[in-house]
Amino acid sequence: MLPDTVHKLPREERFAYARLLAFMARIDNELTVDEMAMFEQRLGTALLSPGQREAIRAALKNPPTLEECLEELSGEAGRLALRDAVMMAAADGTVDEDERDALEDISEHLGLREDAVEQLLNWTIKGYKWMKEGYELLDTLEE
Amino acid sequence: MFPDGLIHRSPQERVRYAEILVYIAAADGELVREEIAMIEAMMGRAMLHPESRITVRAGFEQPIPLEQSLADLDPSLAQIILRDAALVAAVDGDYDRKELTALRKIAKVAGASTTQLSELLDWVKEGWLWFEKASVFLGQ
Repeated sequence: MLPDTVHKLPREERFAYARLLAFMARIDNELTVDEMAMFEQRLGTALLSPGQREAIRAALKNPPTLEECLEELSGEAGRLALRDAVMMAAADGTVDEDERDALEDISEHLGLREDAVEQLLNWTIKGYKWMKEGYELLDTLEE
Repeated sequence: MFPDGLIHRSPQERVRYAEILVYIAAADGELVREEIAMIEAMMGRAMLHPESRITVRAGFEQPIPLEQSLADLDPSLAQIILRDAALVAAVDGDYDRKELTALRKIAKVAGASTTQLSELLDWVKEGWLWFEKASVFLGQ
């Protein structure tokens, strides 16, 4: 949606990034149309090859474990994956316990500061407020 | 996620949405990787069918004329397109003269005044500032 650096990552790291998001998308065993659209948006940003996209969509059907995802994830790809995992988890307005635990595990694996997830959640709330403002701007065009 | 109902639009409308965004991205004469990533993200968000995406990508080389895409466009869809076109146009860091001309044409169909278009561009800037903050506290 906004200028991002995901597409600049090496191919394998973009794949690992997307795989983690597939895990997050299926963490509550439900996948709404809105969540799917958001997931597809992030896949688009990652500029994955057709083969990689197939593999990621397969991962949506049979999600990898968090441990498997984290094995291949570090550095910038990991931080971007955590950022977008937070956005995905918060997309329905709440972050449930399983999601929160997974986010904290990812943060710990990446060696981030203790309040990283909390900070990202606050940042996400501001972002959703910004998106809502954009939608309200469109509403004013109809008056 | 923008609560705009884009995914509930018809497949034809969503293709038109993507084609106009491609036109905007290519308006300044060069299509950089950032712009392609943005278009791919928008196509993903719109849940475009993979075959439709191939059709839209053909526009990277030769975009469909804007006037053609705007003809008979539903004004409420034009509003969504205007917002996302403003995001796409800003992705390379600035609004090129051709991009602004195209945005004004879309704004006309969307029923947006010059002031409203200006407010939309300010809103895009605010979004950039918000997005960059994540990089700061993630230590990138």
